[in-house]
Amino acid sequence: MRIQKLLESVDKLPPFPNTIFKVGEILKSDDYSVAEIIDVIKYDQAMAADILKISNSAYFSPMQKVSSIRDAVLFLGRDNLVRIVQTAGSSRFFRMKGKGYVEKAKELWEHSVAVAVMSQILSKKILKTEDEKLYLAALLHDIGKMLMGEAVYESFAEISQLVASGRYSFLEAEESVIGINHAALGGKIAEKWNFPGDIVEAISFHHRPDLLEEKDNKIAWLVYLSDQICLFAGYTGGFDGLAHRGINAIMDKFDFHERDVELGIIRLVEELAHAREVLGME
Amino acid sequence: MSEIVVGMADIKISNNIKDVLVTYALGSCIAVAIYDPVVKVGGLLHYMLPDSNLDLDKARSNPAMYADTGIPVLFKSCYQLGAEKKRTIVKVTGGASILDDANYFRIGEKNIMALRRIFWKNNVLIDKEDTGKNYNRTVRLHIADGSCYVKGQDGIVVEL
Repeated sequence: MRIQKLLESVDKLPPFPNTIFKVGEILKSDDYSVAEIIDVIKYDQAMAADILKISNSAYFSPMQKVSSIRDAVLFLGRDNLVRIVQTAGSSRFFRMKGKGYVEKAKELWEHSVAVAVMSQILSKKILKTEDEKLYLAALLHDIGKMLMGEAVYESFAEISQLVASGRYSFLEAEESVIGINHAALGGKIAEKWNFPGDIVEAISFHHRPDLLEEKDNKIAWLVYLSDQICLFAGYTGGFDGLAHRGINAIMDKFDFHERDVELGIIRLVEELAHAREVLGME
Repeated sequence: MSEIVVGMADIKISNNIKDVLVTYALGSCIAVAIYDPVVKVGGLLHYMLPDSNLDLDKARSNPAMYADTGIPVLFKSCYQLGAEKKRTIVKVTGGASILDDANYFRIGEKNIMALRRIFWKNNVLIDKEDTGKNYNRTVRLHIADGSCYVKGQDGIVVEL
């Protein structure tokens, strides 16, 4: 019953803004055309408004007010533009009303941005490069929680009790009470949005990448690790706290050590402060 | 009454009885609340990591990041406002962990151990403690009377 209701709510979700993928595609080529980007962005009014707002934020403090999308695209530059488009496009799905399950949608959004920033710190260290797909997967890894909150908030007490008993992880409690966990539900959403397969898997298995059939999905493992580190540091977005299972295999997979986790936390505090300024978050 | 927020890797001290020091979202991090009831001076530290040897530059620019550099600053700052060691009440909370014995994610546990080692060396006794488990905590220290409240599992608030 509850599952049925949840899956129906996935179908009712508004589409994911195409703008993100289109802009990403255009910016891939070194000699991208500004006109082409403007063409894509101008049809997405919410996105255009966000880009203008961020361009005029204290962080960028332009000499003159940036008042057109053309000026903004030229002013921000490629890397900033990619992040801003991805972040602005995703943020709208965290403005929905979160009931019970997600106490405050804003907190879940802050957690999501922290995980996205952490994913790039880890990616630079481990894969020696930043990764846009990884950033988007990290940003949306908990999107399932938004719908869980809408449809099944009355189940929350039951889930809480199971977790408090100490025998269930948060994910296992969700499965036992509702029949599906928020990660798997997030995967359904990503599927509906026609996301690439590795992003869908990364969202679906962000607490249990060890259960993936495709063992080499690095995005999934890095989202998992980024999420865990943010939970330690206290950038959490919900009631689940730290009630998740640790997977030792990840350390061998990336030749990662306890010390690296701790250094990651230091970097996160610094880079998140920077990212929040860039993205114009209060 | 005014709330003074103690951020991550941060220390706040007060001798104003109208103040409440608060720190949110303690995952594996630890909050140390100290209070001298005679002079009504209190301080709250939110540290993130056990040992400053990880990055000494960081420790110099922000000692509150680590247990071994943050705890001395917390006590000394309160002494400067007239607090005395023998009267100081010490309460500790946080240091949560994830489930299972994932031996690389022991930050919560290491944070608790670092604190015990420092207190033991300096003959400081912990009066109240609520550490470990696997949920987040928010802590409030009232400068008026030193009372300390912890919001933990399911948002339930208990006095420490």
